[in-house]
Amino acid sequence: MDHFPLLTAIMLAPIIGALFLSFLPREADKIIKMVSALTMMVALGLVIYAYEMYDFNLGGMQFVESRAWIQDLGVSFILGVDGISLPMLLLTVLIGFSTVFASWNITKRSKEFFILLLILLAGVTGTFITQDLFIFLLFYEMVVIPIYIMVLIWGSSKRVSKEYSGMKLTIYLLLGSAFMLVGIIDLYLNAYPSGMRTFSMTALAQANQLGNLSEGFQIFTFFLLMIGFGSLLSMWPLHSWSPDGYAGAPTAVSMIHAGVLKKIGGYGLIRIGLLILPLGAKFWAPWIALLAVCNVLYAGFIALVQKDLKYVIGYSSVSHMGYVLIGFAALNGTGMNGAIGNMFAHGIMSALFFAMIGYVYEKTHTRYIPDLGGLAHQMPRVATGFMLAGMASLGLPGLIGFIPEFTIFVGAFREYPVYALLAISGIIFTALYILRVLANVLFGPRRTEFDGCADARGVELVPLIVLGSVLVVFGVFPQMLMGMVNSGVEPMVPFLTKLHAAPALLGGLFR
Amino acid sequence: MNITLLTSEIAIICLSLLIIILDLLLPRFETRRSLGYLAAAGVAGVFAYTCTQYGVSATVYQGLFTLDSFALFFKQIFLLAILLTLLFSFDYVEGLAKYQGEFYALLLLAVAGMMIMASANDLLTVFIGTELMTVTFYILVGYQFNSSKSSEAGMKYMILGSVSSAVLLYGVSWVYGCTGSIVFEQIAKHANTSLGMLFGFGLIVAGLFFKMALIPFHMWAPEIYEGAPTPITAMLSMGSKVAGLAVLLRMVFIAFVPMQAYWGGIVSIIAAITMIGGTVIAMWQTNIKRMMAYSSITQAGYMIVGLLSADASGIKSVLFYAMLYMFANVGVFATIIAVKKHHGSNEIKDFSGLAQQSPLLAVVMTVSLLSMAGIPPMAGFAGKLYVFSTVIEKGYLWLGLLGFVMSMISVYYYLNVTKVIYMNEPCVQKEFIVSQPLRIAALISLLATLWIGIYPGPLAELANTAARSLSIL
Amino acid sequence: MISLVHYLTVAAILFIIGVYGVLTKRNIVTILMSIELMLNAVNINLVAFSRFIQPEVLTGQVFSIFTITVAASEVAVGLALLFRVYHDYDTVHIDKLNRMRW
Repeated sequence: MDHFPLLTAIMLAPIIGALFLSFLPREADKIIKMVSALTMMVALGLVIYAYEMYDFNLGGMQFVESRAWIQDLGVSFILGVDGISLPMLLLTVLIGFSTVFASWNITKRSKEFFILLLILLAGVTGTFITQDLFIFLLFYEMVVIPIYIMVLIWGSSKRVSKEYSGMKLTIYLLLGSAFMLVGIIDLYLNAYPSGMRTFSMTALAQANQLGNLSEGFQIFTFFLLMIGFGSLLSMWPLHSWSPDGYAGAPTAVSMIHAGVLKKIGGYGLIRIGLLILPLGAKFWAPWIALLAVCNVLYAGFIALVQKDLKYVIGYSSVSHMGYVLIGFAALNGTGMNGAIGNMFAHGIMSALFFAMIGYVYEKTHTRYIPDLGGLAHQMPRVATGFMLAGMASLGLPGLIGFIPEFTIFVGAFREYPVYALLAISGIIFTALYILRVLANVLFGPRRTEFDGCADARGVELVPLIVLGSVLVVFGVFPQMLMGMVNSGVEPMVPFLTKLHAAPALLGGLFR
Repeated sequence: MNITLLTSEIAIICLSLLIIILDLLLPRFETRRSLGYLAAAGVAGVFAYTCTQYGVSATVYQGLFTLDSFALFFKQIFLLAILLTLLFSFDYVEGLAKYQGEFYALLLLAVAGMMIMASANDLLTVFIGTELMTVTFYILVGYQFNSSKSSEAGMKYMILGSVSSAVLLYGVSWVYGCTGSIVFEQIAKHANTSLGMLFGFGLIVAGLFFKMALIPFHMWAPEIYEGAPTPITAMLSMGSKVAGLAVLLRMVFIAFVPMQAYWGGIVSIIAAITMIGGTVIAMWQTNIKRMMAYSSITQAGYMIVGLLSADASGIKSVLFYAMLYMFANVGVFATIIAVKKHHGSNEIKDFSGLAQQSPLLAVVMTVSLLSMAGIPPMAGFAGKLYVFSTVIEKGYLWLGLLGFVMSMISVYYYLNVTKVIYMNEPCVQKEFIVSQPLRIAALISLLATLWIGIYPGPLAELANTAARSLSIL
Repeated sequence: MISLVHYLTVAAILFIIGVYGVLTKRNIVTILMSIELMLNAVNINLVAFSRFIQPEVLTGQVFSIFTITVAASEVAVGLALLFRVYHDYDTVHIDKLNRMRW
């Protein structure tokens, strides 16, 4: 390897940071936070560099690194990014960078907190850059346990106890991953005959073209994967961990979970589900579309009546994942573009939302909407963040949410006009609950009981500035995001067209 | 006759006798810690010696005793287990009321029994090895002279253990009657599927399943684990189980090849019951040693899953799993001993605030438990992947699914311990003392678990060599 | 003429009596005796098989000597443990050994 192992460096940065932290004394609170921030700054810098250096026109996997890892299983440590994973990677480090600052006020056992946070971030980063299923699994489940411990120690027991929400979150995701594991092992065993087995995603994707995977097999295995990734992506009816989990979790975990972790579900569906098991994806796509509509409408409706801020945003994120799913289910280039774009957009805005909720809660000690009001008077900066995230969430043109959502609808309308219309009507719900929250929490008469609450200041502003500016910049110049995404989706388009033409077992049932 | 093949066993037994003699010579009020260090050093020497023996494949005493990479792999598991157990139990042994010196000697004898089991190539040697191990364990389980629980556990283990030995022997007598031989290769030559043979085979397997504590032969495990001194609990769950597994593997794949037609159905059902039962019952336990008993039952269930695919890859997966299981157990029991020393009891709630008192042990405990649950990047994940991918390949998809779902459910009770460790505040405010040897043992287990989990290649290769040396496949 | 089957039958009966004793008797000494019965059933089996199947090879008889030896050591340990139990519980009744819940 002659060039600098950029992706390894990105992945190792948080791990090295965490190792370094573990040797610092417990009392060195400031230094611990500085080191974490520095670590994430390095990672962010490297990712931005990668994002800039990525050659749009060339497309495909770039910055590829490959090392043999486990010979007898056919595992090799392959890293590489393309137009699909690079936005996800950027999202991860952007949010990771912000979480460090959003957690600046944590003083209780801060050393453990930041070590866990960095391990968590390393896990997510690894998930998006690896091109090998075994390593993917390794990273994917690496994130679950730190989250559990973080919820336990730094979580809040406002509506449900943190023990309950942490355990629910963990067990739900692990059970889902059990199905996914079996699916992946099944795939691994059937793709190639004994002796030339491999976990490499590229090689597995070729197995289908070679005709090694029968349609029945693909349908079955895709179903297993769908349960796994679906529960991670909070696909209805596997979503119920999500609002409870966010409610119990500390701000940083909510941000990472809603912002990035859920996206692993969508990313996995595309990267593993669609590219390796296209016929399975085609069979299940109508069902996914149906569930996606349930997601959008059901969760949107529930969000309307929630009284806890975190629950509103929790359900809102479930609802938004419905858009991603329906874009995926359309199985065409446009829908796919929108789905990936929307994953990025939603990641940024939900992270911003949770950061702002964290500040509100920190300062007013309540998340109960009827107790709040008129906060724009006392905390104009937090209110700005809230407004930005809210407006992006309901898809205001000029902010990041608009273009991806619009693209999704264009793509989905071609395949499922009825579902697409239903999903579009979900925007009404979104507008309703977002505006209701904004109006009740930020506006209205000045309430004297909050006069003592200071606005966000100093380092607390970092998440607001970073995430807020991304919302605006990528909204105003959507090409920066969509161009990248498109370069990843472009190579898939002929493949998708062919897939549409292919005869299918029951695929036409829902058209 | 090449007696050098027995060197490691002879060395361990001599070491044990030496310790008994030195124990007699040492002044009465002298601490026996030096004997512990001597035992550990001796075991380490033998372990280093076994490393040089890989590649040997020979038998001695007319095929009664064989030494191949398969046996060596198991011997190394036992030696590592005893070495690490010795390291973390010095403090514990000092707390014993009397006969501290013999404790080390007896432990070494038990390990000698396990090593003989790993090399046993006929039913007589199997019997001798098993008895050497279990009779020693009867004594060791009842070794805590100030605890009535311990004597109760010893008595119960003695009764149940000798019944299971008798059952095993009765089976042996039938197999001998039907084939006219007790050497594995000869049995294989004369093996038939007559009723007497099946009967004998069934009884032998039942006896070994008892040693491995598989449901429905598990009743002894929770009480004996709870009552026994903690180092013995650790050795029971690592040694007794894995030694039973070693015998079972060699016997099934060399002697009882024609029986494999009957094998798959029964083993898959027992494995399924064991995985479900162990996991479900473990959820309700409040004593950490009882919980570990059920957890180890579940782990044995995972291990025999690998037996279903009767080929080298299946055996390899079992060997791999046995090794990582040993490391995970060391981590858990080292922590249990440290906490027991601090609090004087073994309830799960005693782990409160361990994360703040001893971050290292908290991490070791968490990592070891999660390794047993099979969460990446801990070693358990790679092990489960090996085990279940071999059986899924043989068409047991349902068993694979069940195994993974159960292991994810088992996370529930493992995480309950983690929860206590991390969330709760320490309940006793006094300094938490971790002795240096215990710290080393815990650290070794932590590093090994992570290393095997992230980079399983070398161990897998070693296990593969060992599995292939079983030369029947 | 006494054939192999007779020996096997006697051994089987002994073994079953032993199992029955272990399962139903509550006195630990009786249980130890029942275990001895089971082991002796094994010895009869081994010797009978050895005599009738391969009179020229003594494998089974040698095996039975090992069994006897090991059984003796087992009982020795068992009785020692019994002393301890008696010391701790003042009884040799197995049902009274219940300080740990099942």
